[in-house]
Amino acid sequence: MTASARSRPAPALPRILGQIRPRPRWLELRLLVLVAIVLVVGSASLGATVRGRPDAGADLFDPSVWLPLDVTALAIYLGALFAAHAAQVLAGRRTDQVLLPAVGMLGGISLLLMQRLPQDLVGSGFFGAEGLGQVQLVWLLLSVAVATTVGIVVRSDSWLRQYKYTWAAAGIALLLLTFVFGSDVGGQRLTLVIGPFSGQPSELLKVILVIFLAGYLSENRALLVEQDTRLGPIRLPPIPYLVPMAAMWAIALGIVVVQRDLGAALLFFGVFLLLLYAATARISLVIGGLIAFFLGSAVLATLFEHIGTRIAIWLDPFADPLGAGYQVVQSLHAFARGGLLGMGLGNGLPMIGGRVTIPEVHTDFPLAALGEELGLIGVLGVLGIYLVIIERGLRIGAAAADDFRSLLATGLALVVGIQAFIIAAGNLKVLPLTGVTLPFISYGGSSLLVNGLVIGLLLALSDKGVEPPPPPRKRRLDRILRRGAP
Amino acid sequence: MDGFLIGLWVVRLLFLGLLYLFLFQIVRALVRDLRAATQSATAELGRLHVLASPSGDPPVGVAFSLDAITSLGRDVNNSIVIDDAFASTEHAVLTFRGRDWYVEDLDSTNGTYVNGNRVEGVAALGYGDELQIGQVRLRLERARR
Amino acid sequence: MLSTTRTRRPIGITITHIALAIAIGFGALAGAAGYWGVVVAPELTRSPNDAAVIAASRTVERGEILDRNGRVLARNERDENGELYRSYANQAVSQVVGYYSRRFGSAGLERAYSAELAGLATDPLADALRKFGGNPYDPQDLRLSLDYGLQRAAIRALGDQKGAVVMLDPTTGEVLAMASNPTYDASAIADPRTAEKTFAALQDDPDNPLLPRATLGRYVPGSVFKIVTAIAALGSGAITPETTFREQAEAGDDGLLVNGFRIREGHSLRRGQALTLPQATEISSNIFYALAGLETGGANLVDFAGRLGFGAPLPFDLPTAASQVTNGRGEDPGGFVDDVELANAAYGQGETFVTPLQMALVASTVANDGVLMKPRLVTALEGKRGTRELGPEELRRVISADDAQAIQGAMRRAVEGDLGRQFTSGAKVPGVSTAGKSGTAELGGSGEPHSWFIGFAPVNQPRIAIAVLVERAGRGGAVAAPIGGNLMARYFEEFGQ
Repeated sequence: MTASARSRPAPALPRILGQIRPRPRWLELRLLVLVAIVLVVGSASLGATVRGRPDAGADLFDPSVWLPLDVTALAIYLGALFAAHAAQVLAGRRTDQVLLPAVGMLGGISLLLMQRLPQDLVGSGFFGAEGLGQVQLVWLLLSVAVATTVGIVVRSDSWLRQYKYTWAAAGIALLLLTFVFGSDVGGQRLTLVIGPFSGQPSELLKVILVIFLAGYLSENRALLVEQDTRLGPIRLPPIPYLVPMAAMWAIALGIVVVQRDLGAALLFFGVFLLLLYAATARISLVIGGLIAFFLGSAVLATLFEHIGTRIAIWLDPFADPLGAGYQVVQSLHAFARGGLLGMGLGNGLPMIGGRVTIPEVHTDFPLAALGEELGLIGVLGVLGIYLVIIERGLRIGAAAADDFRSLLATGLALVVGIQAFIIAAGNLKVLPLTGVTLPFISYGGSSLLVNGLVIGLLLALSDKGVEPPPPPRKRRLDRILRRGAP
Repeated sequence: MDGFLIGLWVVRLLFLGLLYLFLFQIVRALVRDLRAATQSATAELGRLHVLASPSGDPPVGVAFSLDAITSLGRDVNNSIVIDDAFASTEHAVLTFRGRDWYVEDLDSTNGTYVNGNRVEGVAALGYGDELQIGQVRLRLERARR
Repeated sequence: MLSTTRTRRPIGITITHIALAIAIGFGALAGAAGYWGVVVAPELTRSPNDAAVIAASRTVERGEILDRNGRVLARNERDENGELYRSYANQAVSQVVGYYSRRFGSAGLERAYSAELAGLATDPLADALRKFGGNPYDPQDLRLSLDYGLQRAAIRALGDQKGAVVMLDPTTGEVLAMASNPTYDASAIADPRTAEKTFAALQDDPDNPLLPRATLGRYVPGSVFKIVTAIAALGSGAITPETTFREQAEAGDDGLLVNGFRIREGHSLRRGQALTLPQATEISSNIFYALAGLETGGANLVDFAGRLGFGAPLPFDLPTAASQVTNGRGEDPGGFVDDVELANAAYGQGETFVTPLQMALVASTVANDGVLMKPRLVTALEGKRGTRELGPEELRRVISADDAQAIQGAMRRAVEGDLGRQFTSGAKVPGVSTAGKSGTAELGGSGEPHSWFIGFAPVNQPRIAIAVLVERAGRGGAVAAPIGGNLMARYFEEFGQ
């Protein structure tokens, strides 16, 4: 650049360090104090319910009855939340102040729920953690750590922006690895075991998918918003959309067939369609994609028995309430028992006659357990918190400095939102039951870590003050303008 | 009914009530943020003040309020039409990225100048800087609040 | 001003749209949560599949089940470990009362009223209060309309034959007897010491004693279905009680030809004559009812049968199978394949299948001057906090009182008329005016037909309606009709004339 005195080159490197000074986050602190109060009260209610049960006449004024069920675990968890807050204050970034408390609240509810479910649903974990509640606590702590670290450290998005095809390749490799080497658990091939580690790759895959789509769509968006492929009289979307759309459709259906994972397929395809809409504002693409997906699923349902069975169970679980429809029927019964106000934390019926009332309650049906113990009011509260997290993420997307960041934040918010929607809908018989987790509440390491990563990235993206995105490339602008010219 | 159970239910309902207090707080934060956003969305990002314009289009003294991307040139499809003999049809683009302004010369015949220096490719622009396209001179100013 | 650019910035708007769509999706979830958690919650929480009901059944001393005279039909016992189990009065009531076993689940009223017997789901206020402590459970005793004596008499009357008897009060819908044979020993299933052996044996039994034939057995009705055709024909105005068919007089010894299919009479009485509805009913004329059915049309026949309760499970305290006029696979009105099927169905030999309870309701509707009452077993729930009476419930008027009385007269001739007596021998209750209709359901092949009888008495002021089915026992007049007559006589012995 031969420019002179006043016309500076665009800053290419992130401005790191040097500028860091603590910045108070009063809103976050206020909300976290509220989270702590809510969780202490909830834990006291749980503790008193559990302790009061053997002898119905427990003393109202005996303070030891009202202690939280597991004081140490609660203290550690709240400590971690405040430590995350302190770290962000010290880092001094101007990031979102609502996400951490909202997610912290969901995680805390998860902790209470897992402490209260039968502890032997999982084997022993690590760090000496024993039982469902303690193992979940470890994962929650790691999740908060991931979210905070990513939220503080990530200041540049070029590593995501520039290598989108590398990411796509990594994602497809991960998918193929699961197709081939995944182990079948409960009829679904979701778990990948490598040596001592096991995890659910589809959790990570969803983030990779969003990164790739954000890169791909933001690059091609301006070019193709209004172009069409004409096939005789039929107006089709432009080829650069058609191709990934067909590929996504095939991948989603492939996941349904090979992994038997309707939930992940629905999640991936739903995120893809909504991001496509965000980028192009063409509702016809979304409708066309949905029709294609449902047609494909309908064909698969007739071809593959397990898919047909799932759909039959969804349509009428009460046809076989003690057999195929058992899980869903018991889930609905749990909501019914809860009624408006719930049975009270710790007062539900997770076990009858030595068996778990709803099989897989800790991974697939935490919402039903919450429905039983917190009632409709509690479920609506939890759904409301999810909605706030999603809208917060979308807001970060809408306010982002350029298309890539915008689509990335939107996609990350959607990944959390659609996943929560799919499994909640499965619990409530709105959609067929699928094996995806309820973000931040379900038991499970993969889910908690990846969702922590998602929140971390959203936090990082919410800071508009750090590195400006690269200036638009000339070639692209040229074309935007030329299109308007006669 | 014994006292303990009543107390237990008070605590249970207190928990639900506090949960909703929390929800109310975060929704309020969201609404405030959205309200602030709608206000700033309608507001301009910056202004371009016309200092000199021999042909009279754009007229001298007019200030254009700027969006994130503003194209300048002789063609009528540009955001700001510069009807000047020395301006190209698509002359330059002014963009707002993050907190900074950039101007990009679109291979114009006679070039784009910032404070009298010719722009090659992209150049950053600050408030108060003077932009010259053809014979038209414009000054970038802060948005009116 | 020229400050807007055309092509860019839609992302903010589309994200707003997405936010809206997500909010709507979550709104739908909230609606579903409200639906399951509040709207249908009362039904779900009293279902025998509910975990709380199952859990309570294990710990709570269940309520007793009593007959209409207060006789205990089901009560609790304790084994040597102090664990509760159920004990039942007699095998005769097993198909109604059912059983409750910790190992093998539950059946009958023990299942249908599991929540009430275990003291859950009493009323919404009590359910709300239960959450605040006190004794959470208020087990309810079930008071039934069943008469223990009559029930045992019904089982005895069936003897070692497979079949079912339903007796009910046509004016209130109260079921007085509902026997299904063979029955089983419910106490042996409930008693933990004998449960396993008994249950295994019952499940392997080819006679299927666990099947409540009165409510879940579906049988070809034969001529008793003619009463349904009569209801539809008169109710739709297709015929009057005086209508005759020229085609019947013209039909020769070879019977009536419908689309190449011959419909024959089962006997040679009054051959070659055109009969009215009462005359045709008296001698159970297939040709008359085939013609009446064709005149009425498939749509009307199915419609009136539907008003009687066909086509869907009956509203009842126990699960019931749906009775059908036709399997509905045809294109003709009502779902018939052609006129042949319609003509056959009109005298009960098409693709027509009925439950004994449904046929008892047909007799009961005619007896009650055309009004169908909801059949009921449980008349009251008695708990510590008071008694909840369950009163009679009118389901609907099926036909006018005049039409019903015409059929009453026809059915009386079928029992008391000189010719009719031959088809319903023994159905007449001595000293009481009696109406009825027998049925002989041909099943094809070499086996004996199902033997049917439906009836009611006294004709003018009916107090008891009955349906009797005996599987593969022979002609209706020979087997089922005398059982019906004897049981109605037994009713009048017990309850007075």
